[in-house]
Amino acid sequence: MAEIGHGGKEIKERILQPSEAKDKIKGLAQIPVSRQIANEIINISYGYFTPLEGFMGKEDVDSVVKNMTLADGTIWSIPILFDLSEKDVKDKGVEPGKSVVLTYQGNPMALFEVSDVFEYDKSAINKSVFGVDEEKHPGCKRINATEDKYVGGKITLLKEPTINEPYAPFFLPPLKMRKIIKEKGWTRTVAHQTRNVPHTGHEWLMKGAFFQTLGDLSVEKPQVGVVVNAIIGEKRVKDYIDEAILLCQDELEKAGYFGPHNHLTSLTFWDMRYAGPKEAIFHAILRTNLGITHHMYGRDHAGVGDYYGAYEAHHLLDSVRGKLDITPVYSMNWLYCPVCAEITSEGLCNHKDQQQKFSGTLIRSIVTDGVKPPRLIIRPEVFDKIMECSEKYGEGSPFVTEEYLEKRIPVFNIEAL
Amino acid sequence: MAAKNPIYVWVNEERYEQLEQAGLAHHTEERLAGLKVLVVYADDDQAATMVKDFGAKHDTSTTGSIELLPAKVKNKIFEKVVEKQNLDVVSDVLKELT
Repeated sequence: MAEIGHGGKEIKERILQPSEAKDKIKGLAQIPVSRQIANEIINISYGYFTPLEGFMGKEDVDSVVKNMTLADGTIWSIPILFDLSEKDVKDKGVEPGKSVVLTYQGNPMALFEVSDVFEYDKSAINKSVFGVDEEKHPGCKRINATEDKYVGGKITLLKEPTINEPYAPFFLPPLKMRKIIKEKGWTRTVAHQTRNVPHTGHEWLMKGAFFQTLGDLSVEKPQVGVVVNAIIGEKRVKDYIDEAILLCQDELEKAGYFGPHNHLTSLTFWDMRYAGPKEAIFHAILRTNLGITHHMYGRDHAGVGDYYGAYEAHHLLDSVRGKLDITPVYSMNWLYCPVCAEITSEGLCNHKDQQQKFSGTLIRSIVTDGVKPPRLIIRPEVFDKIMECSEKYGEGSPFVTEEYLEKRIPVFNIEAL
Repeated sequence: MAAKNPIYVWVNEERYEQLEQAGLAHHTEERLAGLKVLVVYADDDQAATMVKDFGAKHDTSTTGSIELLPAKVKNKIFEKVVEKQNLDVVSDVLKELT
């Protein structure tokens, strides 16, 4: 049976057999791509970006910028762009109707059937997607850094990438994820977008969302799964290292705070744009394609600095509810109350002047010191896993350092055909 | 010493027992779900050394606290506090580690 993704389109993987690939690329010009573009090639090829079959042409970009839809009217909030310098366009003979080979790590990665070469006003993209046109906004900075030409056209992966350990078990592309969800018998699933190792505030965000999603379903058998979907992409110094994020999220299940009957850890390759409300819509699309029925959204989802209001993403999601195939689940913050003596929600506890809130800075400081905190803050098994990852993958730190960036295991490799 | 340039040393149950034995447990403050913090202060020169030699961040714009000190420095601070039964330990720590 066909698997239907965002926009009512069937999810189809666009991956050639290696024998077929060799013939297809004979004599074609080769263009090396960045890590970001390589990630997006994988997303297009495995159907994470359904209904897109390639990088956007001008008509789609224009429609995304002006209407938050693709040219055919399907909701879409962030342009998926392939940029190239004018010189490369000329030197490589990139023009509509021709094909080129995209290479990564020195090996052929994808066939790119060019259908459009165009320019677009970067400022207009910035204002539409990020609400501002300021270089200090990381999303604007990324758009401003693109070359002046954009190339649209279909993408086909020449060979499946090799996903390296410890990432491999968490790479569950749309068709595989949908199969697992069916096997588990889940009728509803709720996505937890994360770039963090989990403290108990995060754990209870997920548990709260589990109950919100369960709603009126029967409790006689497990029917709801929390799907942790970690964003693996560009790392900045002082972020948590990717290995710790994935393995610590998974540890919550392994140590029994969740179980395989209600929890699954996975990853998506994506460089955060920090587009706040527009990125919230984009995350809804990604997770729809993964076959997930509900999506958690907390305060200032995918925001940065003070560019967006705490609930701006919720408002935008509400404005397009009928056009998305995923139900938003809005989450309040969880905190510790010494009177209740438990982790509780700001929407429940009324000991307002005694509540102790989780802050990223505070948790980071505790983790940096390596002093095992009470289990009500970070589960002991998770804390031990953070320390283990720090030694095994992080050159002694659970946070990204220059040394980590230099020596880290690549998340995936593109092998020779 | 003037109460400026605070350094926050996290105190779990195990460390709290050591502070109790040193008669310093009353100096801790509860911060989150039973996790306590011991605040030790540095003078301006000491703060500058910590930034220069240990890559710490001196939050001069808000709390004045010294953040991101490596665990080995924090551990040494705690060790010295217990050993000297006194919170005025930063100069000793810097002598040993620099």
